[in-house]
Amino acid sequence: MESVSTMDFIATKFADFLTYTGFANVEWPNLAMIVVGAFFIWLAIKKDFEPLLLIPIGLGIILGNIPFKAAGLEIGLYEDNSVLNIFYQGVRQGWYPPLVFLGIGAMTDFSALIANPKLMLVGAAAQFGIFGAYIIALALGFEPNQAAGIAIIGGADGPTAIFLSSKLSPNLMGAIAVCAYSYMALVPVIQPFIMRALTTKKERLIRMKPSRTVSQTEKILFPIVGLLITTFIVPSGLPLLGMLFFGNLLKESTKTTRLAKTAGSALNDIIVMLLGLTVGCSTQASEFLTLDTVKIFALGAFAFIIATASGVLFVKFFNLFLPQNKKINPLIGNAGVSAVPMAARISNQEGLKADRTNFLLMHAMGPNVAGVIGSAVAAGVLLGFLS
Amino acid sequence: MQTLKSGIFFYVCCQVVWLLNINIDIMRLRLLSLLSVLFVAFGASAQGARDFKINEIYIADPADTSGIGYKDEYGESGSWIEVANTSYTTRDIRSCYLTNNRAVLNKELSAPERISMMSLIPKGDVRTNLTAKQRITFFADGHVNRGTLHTDFVLEAGKENFIALYDGNGVTLLDSVTVPVLPAGCSYARIYDADTEEYVWVKAQPDEVTPDAPNEVSNATDDKVKQFKDNDPYGIAMTVMSMAVVFSCLLLLYIFFHVFGWIINRMTMLSRVKAIKKIHESAAKVVVMAKDGAETKGIEMENYVAAIAMALHEYQGYTHDVESGVLTIRHEHSAWDSKDHGLRQQPVHHPVNTHN
Repeated sequence: MESVSTMDFIATKFADFLTYTGFANVEWPNLAMIVVGAFFIWLAIKKDFEPLLLIPIGLGIILGNIPFKAAGLEIGLYEDNSVLNIFYQGVRQGWYPPLVFLGIGAMTDFSALIANPKLMLVGAAAQFGIFGAYIIALALGFEPNQAAGIAIIGGADGPTAIFLSSKLSPNLMGAIAVCAYSYMALVPVIQPFIMRALTTKKERLIRMKPSRTVSQTEKILFPIVGLLITTFIVPSGLPLLGMLFFGNLLKESTKTTRLAKTAGSALNDIIVMLLGLTVGCSTQASEFLTLDTVKIFALGAFAFIIATASGVLFVKFFNLFLPQNKKINPLIGNAGVSAVPMAARISNQEGLKADRTNFLLMHAMGPNVAGVIGSAVAAGVLLGFLS
Repeated sequence: MQTLKSGIFFYVCCQVVWLLNINIDIMRLRLLSLLSVLFVAFGASAQGARDFKINEIYIADPADTSGIGYKDEYGESGSWIEVANTSYTTRDIRSCYLTNNRAVLNKELSAPERISMMSLIPKGDVRTNLTAKQRITFFADGHVNRGTLHTDFVLEAGKENFIALYDGNGVTLLDSVTVPVLPAGCSYARIYDADTEEYVWVKAQPDEVTPDAPNEVSNATDDKVKQFKDNDPYGIAMTVMSMAVVFSCLLLLYIFFHVFGWIINRMTMLSRVKAIKKIHESAAKVVVMAKDGAETKGIEMENYVAAIAMALHEYQGYTHDVESGVLTIRHEHSAWDSKDHGLRQQPVHHPVNTHN
């Protein structure tokens, strides 16, 4: 074998090394996505928009767009056996979302809903956002399975969106997930305008009666009955609904406080970190910067608008049949989307703007948690029809 | 089988513990172990072997020396039997039996007698571990010494052939089929008939013979998507159906908790009414007694005082009907009383010698 001088060897190897660096492999789309990632982080830190989600996603976007030479180093998200790829399997195989639902169940108090169960129907009505977006997506030329994956953004539920898109339209999952979480962060920007536009001053002043006290028996029965009813009708929603109600039973049984605490805090935090990071990573420029992504973002906005509007309008319609003393303030209609508790906070803020003494938060929590169940059921229905 | 053994082992261990009279809640442990044995025994009998189905059979004509056809590890083509795992779970077909001897159907035969007429699918080959919907093809060439995928019997062309698949116990018939005389190059394949919604056996033409592959090229997901695309291009049907399902789910929940909430409210109301009635009765008694006491001008005053005290006690008791009246301190878990930690040596108190 011909020997080379040390200097030549160093020069060759160094030149070879340089071909591996990000500087040698960078392309404009990568830089654009890095800017997007940085923007998400800025939104989270400076504007306080969903920092728990946008910081992992923002950094994930940067991480996923660091350019490197495809030389089988097992470092990229889409390379088999890389660490990121192993983390990504939780998204790909759809087992992060049910674990997030476990945490949501363990943290959610369904008392407001149990005390006033008719608010469940508001949660159901807001799911029209999903199907409205489905109709528009079909009109834009998406296949039914892709349209369903995109439409679920209207449920305002990130884990559900990831779960469904991983099953029905995995190639669009990155864009759908980022879109779902972005719009969830933008709920305070999107919803108030629609709520004010669709309600009169008089309607915004409606005062709702305080909720009754809910017994512990009812709280324990809720996850069991809820699980039985929803999963008997929609077995395809089992992973999400099962874990949601399981988490809630851990909380409400009062005998498994430790488990509920873990599910709602440490476990949930771990999953959210991994989920956010890997979802962000999945937005590699080559996969993400496409016309479909632009369409998905536009459809996501429509889905949120339709969901909010349908919730508010349904309450107004519902009020036609309710006695004067049991009228519902339509400002809680927006909370039918499952962005918990952000949508309920918006209801409260808008209620306070109309009347400084009218607190709607607890009333809005009813449709808000019903929206969580509703969107999971809707995802199950879509999965059942199209998978 | 492994789980059954584990269950039996656990049961035996429990019996040993019982014999040694180790201080454990024996009855509970024995019950638990018995349940575990029953559980694993049921599990063992439902290991999923029933998910294996004979899927396609090809019987080669010995006169055909063209060498065309599905080949084994030795490059030789011949008759074969394809078995499919029809479940969505990984199943291992090892230890099951294949046979072409119809005599095995005789119920008078003992398991060993039946097994002696069958060809064993041996253990120790990863190829027998079939993932969801996977298939495995066995060569019916009579050369069992050639490996796992070879049977000790041969299928004969030009006549009917009976083929059966038995579970590892040699008793449970998993699947069987009688293959009619087939035209040259054709196979006998099990396909799904959408009209009858059942699997049926058909003669597959030479270009439809598919060893180690599905008998029909069909993708259920694609079919569903296509159906929606063709029949519901605007998504109206999907929207109506899905919203109906979402509403019915939440409507049922609403009805249940509306009714249940009404019952709970009613019960609370009834208990309150009952309490108020008791209070009224007690109050009336007190009034009567007080009047009576005044009339008796202090005679047997102690009795009246006791009665009034009782009435007050009742009054106070019923006005707090929601509470149990028992003061409790909720037990908070800590590592100090954990059973796991209890296995460690407990800390021993040593008085501090203040003189040193």
